[in-house]
Amino acid sequence: MTTTIPSIPLRRLAKDPVVISGAVTLLLWGAASLYSPAFATWGHIVTTLTVASFLGVIAIGQTLVIIAGGEGIDLSVGAAATLSAIVASRFMNGSDDGLFFAVLAALASACVIGVVNAIGVLVFRVPPLVMTLGMIAVVAGFIRLYTGGRPEGSAAPLLNQLVTGDTVLGIPGVLWLWLGLSVLVIWLLRRTSYGWRLYAVGANRTTAYLSGVNPSAVKFSAYVLSSLFAGVGGLLLLGYTQNVYTNLGADYMLNSVAAAVIGGTALVGGVGGYLGTIIGAILLTVLSALLRTMQIGGGEWGDAPRQILFGLVLIIVLTAYGRQKRLRG
Amino acid sequence: MDSPPFLRMSGVRKRYGGVTALDGADFEADAGTVHAVLGPNGSGKSTLLKVLTGVVGPDAGEVRLRGEPLRPRGPRDTLAAGVASVYQELSLVEDFTVLDNLLLGVEPTRFGLRDRRAATARALPWLERFAPAFGGRVPVRERVGDLDPGERQVVEVCKALVRDPQVLVLDEATASLRRGQVEVLFEVVTDLRERGVLVLFITHRLAEIFSVCDRATVMRNGTDVATVTVADTPERELVELMSGQPQARSSAAPARQAALRTAPDTAGAAAPAVGADPSAPPRLEVRELTGDRLDGVSLHVRAGEVLGLGGLQGQGQSELMAALFGSGRRTGGTVLLNGAPVRPRSPKQAVRAGFCYVPGNRGGQGLALGRPILENFALPSVGRRAALGVALSRRREVAAARSVAERINTRYGSLDDPVSTLSGGNQQKIVVGKWFPTEPSVVLMDDPAKGIDVGAKAEMFEVVAELAASGAAVIVGSSDDRELVEVCDRVLVMFEGRVVDEVFGDRLTEDTLIASAMHITGADVAAAHSGDAAAELPEPDHDPEARAPGPDHGPEEGGA
Repeated sequence: MTTTIPSIPLRRLAKDPVVISGAVTLLLWGAASLYSPAFATWGHIVTTLTVASFLGVIAIGQTLVIIAGGEGIDLSVGAAATLSAIVASRFMNGSDDGLFFAVLAALASACVIGVVNAIGVLVFRVPPLVMTLGMIAVVAGFIRLYTGGRPEGSAAPLLNQLVTGDTVLGIPGVLWLWLGLSVLVIWLLRRTSYGWRLYAVGANRTTAYLSGVNPSAVKFSAYVLSSLFAGVGGLLLLGYTQNVYTNLGADYMLNSVAAAVIGGTALVGGVGGYLGTIIGAILLTVLSALLRTMQIGGGEWGDAPRQILFGLVLIIVLTAYGRQKRLRG
Repeated sequence: MDSPPFLRMSGVRKRYGGVTALDGADFEADAGTVHAVLGPNGSGKSTLLKVLTGVVGPDAGEVRLRGEPLRPRGPRDTLAAGVASVYQELSLVEDFTVLDNLLLGVEPTRFGLRDRRAATARALPWLERFAPAFGGRVPVRERVGDLDPGERQVVEVCKALVRDPQVLVLDEATASLRRGQVEVLFEVVTDLRERGVLVLFITHRLAEIFSVCDRATVMRNGTDVATVTVADTPERELVELMSGQPQARSSAAPARQAALRTAPDTAGAAAPAVGADPSAPPRLEVRELTGDRLDGVSLHVRAGEVLGLGGLQGQGQSELMAALFGSGRRTGGTVLLNGAPVRPRSPKQAVRAGFCYVPGNRGGQGLALGRPILENFALPSVGRRAALGVALSRRREVAAARSVAERINTRYGSLDDPVSTLSGGNQQKIVVGKWFPTEPSVVLMDDPAKGIDVGAKAEMFEVVAELAASGAAVIVGSSDDRELVEVCDRVLVMFEGRVVDEVFGDRLTEDTLIASAMHITGADVAAAHSGDAAAELPEPDHDPEARAPGPDHGPEEGGA
């Protein structure tokens, strides 16, 4: 008996996706440090986390939408991030004067995307995958109309300062912001009635409905929050790059889903959390950096070999999760 | 009579876990007859016919067709042997046309390609035959999804007939048909009988048995009780065979009719309830409620009373609760809660008004299986304990869950374990217990003890008693008559969307409930008989079920 007691939590820990992805991340980082000692430096760690933070923030909403279930997925997060950055840069136009208004306008435009997604999914019963995929094209078209193909303006210096400016120990502002948002979201999921209802709707919509929850309202808010956080991510990206281009957020579409799923948020809904997504975002960033450092690809082949390897690693990690038994009826 | 019967099933046994569905049933039927299989809920009649069609594999026993043993590995084998069946649950592909559905799996081919002409030639005669049931048209190319439920059921019948069966099984196949459609079906059944086909017929409408069946086998507790010739058997005798005891109806009749009159008409009046203060005004009063499968239901329940909804399965019991809880359609009528009218449009509003709902389907409707026990306990009331309606305190949530778990005596490892790790009985207790913190005034329970063992069932109903004792009015729907007798103060028997009987006091026994469930009101019998005589085939209006003379069937009952 005495030997089995400690082994139970250990075994459970070994099956926890958050623990697994954390271990994989450390492993990748260790391998990277062996390959290139620069990886182990403080500065490099901070840079990696900074790059991960944009993905992490954009994947907040993705996590909420996937947890809400019903095949929930939001592929339009990249489009929302791009739109938000483009609107903000035009309003800021390189000065701090209109910063507040620009941020407001950018986030509002992102929220519109979420509202349209939610209406399509909940009222017209369009499958989320199709709805949000179609939304990408709609937003892309709108951006072209709005910018004439050449986005104008640039980030306000203050925004740039907020995102990249060093604070304590060389940590840029964006990491503090990510930390704050993370605490907020984890609290939202674990310690608010909204979070508990979100999990219940995702785990069993009928049960939630018959327990007096309004599943449509919960899902509606998940889609709007998804676009809102994607918009925040777009603003941070703008602050980081200072200039915008029309496919600024394109990479985040699939990576945000991957980050959430690697972190243990199951696509069936009702399972997972944001802590896992954080680790998933870091894992993806470390992996990408490692492949780049190893100079796989480059030259005449361009990005292609790296993309192939990146995709393969994703498939392997996700297959390992698929083998777990999910606790469902 | 010494030649082997056309169909013989002998010593058929089937157990589902701890439940015995068939306990050595014997069954014989001849070709060229229409043979009814009758019995109360859970008597094994459906299972028996599912063994015949190969849907269910028996644990023991033998099936012989034309003297030869039939050992099907599935419905395909029995189909090849000439057994086709029509079930109440539809097996049609909604996006296919009627023609494609009829020939699904038996498509005629030419050179390996589908032969549309042969297909049409095979299916068309049956569809033409049933044209009156489709309102005079022949919907060969129509999409099944565009047909109404009755028409789909007719397509289902055609699908079985296209396979040229020697044995046709109709399992509650008439339940969703309109009167006119039933007439057409019965004409076809009569034809089939003349052509030597054996038609096996399960129905809850006794009148249909008298109008079309030659023989009837009565099932009870998983065995066959008797096989009789329908024409020689009075209705009362059939009911006696099903309930297993002589009815002695003649002496009890006046009391029964008196009870009947008070039940549907003057819901608010008298009718002493055992478990509650009879002078108290009703906690919940329902007047002439209509909706899906509901045809004017009136009832009342007092605080502290446990009211049962009995009758055969699918007579509107579930729909009644869904309509009260705001999750089902409600087209008319009044619901008064503590004297004030309520009309919840969603479960959320119903919960706010003081209703709560306990489904029998735990995994599908009662629990979020993968989520922790704690969250499942908290779900209906989670906003009420939160600061500003949002922020939860884990300490408060745990305390609330613990206090309920203690009251309903649930055993669990940790509140953070998924609820799926609990036993079925403990799971079902959580489905009930999660409502305690909302302090419901009306508790609606739809077959709450489905699929849990006897001990857990008893504990579950202690929880029901606890809720009633705390001042809630409890309505329990159950397909298990024994359960109703044990738990309820008073039971309303439903039939085709109406309350047809009220049973309480000394009359509240299993036998009374079975008899009452099978019994048809005088109005229904009269309507069915007149329907026999008059050929009212084309029925233009889309009135579902014959709306027999309406709310005042009490007096007519006395006249029958």
